[in-house]
Amino acid sequence: MVPISYYLVLSAILFSIGVGAFLIKRNIITVFMSIELMLNAVNLTFVAFAHQWRHVSGQIFVFFVMVVAAAEAAVGLAIIIAIFRTRNTLNVDQVDLMKL
Amino acid sequence: MNMQLARILPEVILTITGVIIMLAEPLLQKNSSRKPLGWFAVLGTLAALFASMWQLHLPDGTAYFGTVQTDAYSVFFHVLIAGIVLATLLVSLDSIDGSAESVGEFFALICFGAVGMMLMTSAVELLLVFIGLEISSISTYIMACFRRKSAKGPESAIKYFLLGSFATAFFLYGIALIFGATGTTAIAAIGRILTVGQTPLLAVVGLAMILIGIGFKVSAAPFQVWTPDVYEGAPSPVVGLMSTAPKAAAFAVLLRILYVAFPLLHYHWQPLVWWMAVLSMCVGNLGALRQQNVKRMLAYSSIANAGYLLAAFTALSQEGVAAASFYAVTYAAMNVGIFAVVSHAGGFGDRLTLVQDYRGLAYRSPLLGGAMAFFLISLIGIPFTGGFFGKFYVFAAALHSGMVWLTIIGLINSGIACYYYLRLLAAVYSKPVHTDLLDGIPRPTMPLLLALVLTVAATLILGIVPGQVLSLARAGANTLVPYVTTAMK
Amino acid sequence: MILGWLIVILIAGGLIAWPLARLHPLLSRLIALSAVTLDLALALVLATRDFGPGSTAGGGWREELDWSWIPQFGIHFHLGMDGLSFLLVLLTLFLGVVAVVVSWTEIATAVGFYHFNLLLILAGILGVLLSLDLFLFYFSWELMLVPMYFLISVWGRERRTHAAVKFFLFTQLSGLLMLIALLALYFAHHQATGIYTFEYQDLLGTPLDPHRAMWIMLGFLAAFAVKLPAFPFHTWLPDACAEASAASNLVLASLMAATAAYAMIRFLLPLFPEAVHTISPLMIVLAVIGILYSAILAFSQTNLMRLVAYASIGHLGFVLLGIFAGNSLALRGTVMTVIAHGVSIGALFLVAGAVEKRVQSREIDTMGGLWDTIPCLSGVGLFFALAALGLPGLGDFIGEFLILIGTYQAHIAAAAVAALGVLAATFYALRFVQYAFQGTNIHSWHLPDLAAHEGFVLGVLIAVLLWLGLYPQPVLQTLAQAASHAPALWR
Repeated sequence: MVPISYYLVLSAILFSIGVGAFLIKRNIITVFMSIELMLNAVNLTFVAFAHQWRHVSGQIFVFFVMVVAAAEAAVGLAIIIAIFRTRNTLNVDQVDLMKL
Repeated sequence: MNMQLARILPEVILTITGVIIMLAEPLLQKNSSRKPLGWFAVLGTLAALFASMWQLHLPDGTAYFGTVQTDAYSVFFHVLIAGIVLATLLVSLDSIDGSAESVGEFFALICFGAVGMMLMTSAVELLLVFIGLEISSISTYIMACFRRKSAKGPESAIKYFLLGSFATAFFLYGIALIFGATGTTAIAAIGRILTVGQTPLLAVVGLAMILIGIGFKVSAAPFQVWTPDVYEGAPSPVVGLMSTAPKAAAFAVLLRILYVAFPLLHYHWQPLVWWMAVLSMCVGNLGALRQQNVKRMLAYSSIANAGYLLAAFTALSQEGVAAASFYAVTYAAMNVGIFAVVSHAGGFGDRLTLVQDYRGLAYRSPLLGGAMAFFLISLIGIPFTGGFFGKFYVFAAALHSGMVWLTIIGLINSGIACYYYLRLLAAVYSKPVHTDLLDGIPRPTMPLLLALVLTVAATLILGIVPGQVLSLARAGANTLVPYVTTAMK
Repeated sequence: MILGWLIVILIAGGLIAWPLARLHPLLSRLIALSAVTLDLALALVLATRDFGPGSTAGGGWREELDWSWIPQFGIHFHLGMDGLSFLLVLLTLFLGVVAVVVSWTEIATAVGFYHFNLLLILAGILGVLLSLDLFLFYFSWELMLVPMYFLISVWGRERRTHAAVKFFLFTQLSGLLMLIALLALYFAHHQATGIYTFEYQDLLGTPLDPHRAMWIMLGFLAAFAVKLPAFPFHTWLPDACAEASAASNLVLASLMAATAAYAMIRFLLPLFPEAVHTISPLMIVLAVIGILYSAILAFSQTNLMRLVAYASIGHLGFVLLGIFAGNSLALRGTVMTVIAHGVSIGALFLVAGAVEKRVQSREIDTMGGLWDTIPCLSGVGLFFALAALGLPGLGDFIGEFLILIGTYQAHIAAAAVAALGVLAATFYALRFVQYAFQGTNIHSWHLPDLAAHEGFVLGVLIAVLLWLGLYPQPVLQTLAQAASHAPALWR
């Protein structure tokens, strides 16, 4: 059987990749995808721990995370479309009317 | 009435209000005014407000499998959020163009956002905290994007959305690790499990992640970068809302998590919060000094105020919790108030943006100028306003717990803050009057007057006779106190 | 209860006067005048009460009022009056009436808001002079700030915003230091006794270790020294006075200084006797430097208001000297000086304002030869200049004389150098008269002399100064019975 730590390490790596991509990538869609990656890393953690504790609540949590992520995606994509309509670009560096 | 339902009655009322508005909106004529829907939302919010107060008569307890709890603490924040939402609705009714498309949705979104924030404050299960957080966040993302034709609107929204979701991921990862460490996500149970035996490293890391997540939401430094941009681009009434209500809810959650779930880990989180408080105060106030844009300046001011509030967190006492709760109320009263003035003067589309655009406002409209001056005075923290008493309480609590340096840094910061508030104040009262811009300001309408009366009265009461609110804040803090005292042992 | 009314009448008067100006500015002026006059009358009613040492029941306060305000923190709305505060309340209300009368013609814009601010400041000053609860004291102390800011920034001259902001920042920052000190004292008292209270009488006996007492004392001192203002924290005063109107300057220099001096005597000395004793050599040195430095600077000013402001700082140097000299003689001289300074410097500001109104400038260079055309005003100017330089027979002389004697007992050198300051004052006072009023009328001024109301106000001020100088016994007697609860101070 695969020990629990493998799952945890994997999800930590996935989460870190997500964080890194969030900070490095310039395309808004990619940035958005990296957030999804982070959320899925969290889901993996939840499932792994749910298995470890033999407790279903972790898995229930995952369902909620998925639902909420879907809602977030809907709103996020809508905003991205609004951005594209006003700017004709999805490059983060060019969405800089207000200096960060 | 069903006891379970009674515990989420305000949320239920607001949800129904929002749903009815969403359903009614398409039934209205295409070009007819949507403002009656806004008034309906006001009614719903009032009902929710009274329902929250009524909840005080319920015995303390949990419902829905121990996920929500009504107690003096949750009611305190419910009433606060309902009050903020009420004022925001009135301000929006004043400044929004009622016949524009999908304005009804705007009112519904405010209601839904309020549901999320209220759920956050009464949640005692991290799952529900997460859901409440997301309900409120998603609603605010959309509201931030409401001026979607303007260039700044969507930019502001995307920044808010991306960084908000980023923070949510951290928050979730924190929950996952804590679940791994303790096997539960119920806040009180986590506290019980962590009192026995050693503290697992996972829990500490998880707590740090939660701090990062909430730190983003309340725009505490070093997680504040998004705030000025988002505030600058979002419609002013929305900024008034999102700089107060979601933050108050997030602070309430953070207080509950820190004091109930992790009282024993305070030697881990107290220094972190100390640094966050100091950084927020310094970054906020120093950043605000060089801002020309009023909303950006107020954004930095809100970062600084998050710092003052966090200062109360470090007190590790009932006084600290009460001071933080009290400060949330005072900050909400004055900040919603000043954004009411900004919304009316600048309109939904931000006609007045720079400090110098406000030159002579007091001569053009004594009412608006006077109200703005009053709220600025409160933000500076002059006695007879809530801003003074809030700061007084926060720093008294911090000093009482031996946080001498934090108090000194905080008070010096609030001295620095005078400078930029005074710049705006001086502009408002200076001549010559900037007539071409100021002549566009419409006459104050009834909803605006109501909102101003509400916020001015609240600020004055909090400053002159704060006894009642103080008692409520303390009663709320008392519900967290058992955990605090175990921590101090 | 009268004490409560004193404050309520002022605030209510301000609140009524504000909107009434929309109907007619005169209404607003009348309301303000009657509110302050009524207050003055009420205060004089208190003068008829028995002030004898027999009436020291109830802590030695002639008049007391104690309401619970924020019980959670042990904060009371506690007012009390003894001889010291009585004198200064009279001074405040008297000069308050003068300020309203002077504003009658000087202030033409936003009349209602002006009187609201003026009355609010007066209410704040009364709050400071009467409060026996340190929270209430801080509250009133800060209450003066914003209205004063408005008085400078709305009705001031060209660089008013700069001056107002400088005034605000100085006062607010020092006030915050006092707040920290106040809280530290509050918690120290709780630590020692287990009681949370801001009550003056209770905090008096707080046991403090010397180190902590010193820091707390410095916090309070910061606020008081800035407000006084004492050298080297004085720079805001000339800037503010150069920009603000004459009536505002009267309030700013005469009355605010009185509150600061009062606060030092009432709070600083009794609360931290040891710490004050330790630091007094330093403060005496600062006071003496302030006296000389301000005299030199006053001499080199070209702006009339600025000159008077530096003259004021010189007098306040004497006040500081008297407070830290450490004996009752000097302390009595201090109170006397505060009162006489309030009247004479206030009057000088009014004279400067009257001159400004006629020649449309504050620069001394543009004046000269005024005596030919406005002899009465010039004569009055000479009188107050002489009062300010400490001519025997006028109020300032008594005060400074007592301070010098008191200081002489403690620190001979300081007294000697400070006496030089009196000499130096002669130079700038005479320069004021010489350059502004005397000389040839090269500009060929033809100006109206004193109007009836100006003449009346200045005449009353002259009478008061003469009274203080020739027959100071009532003041000194009232003081002698003052503060029976802090006898060590006055012995």
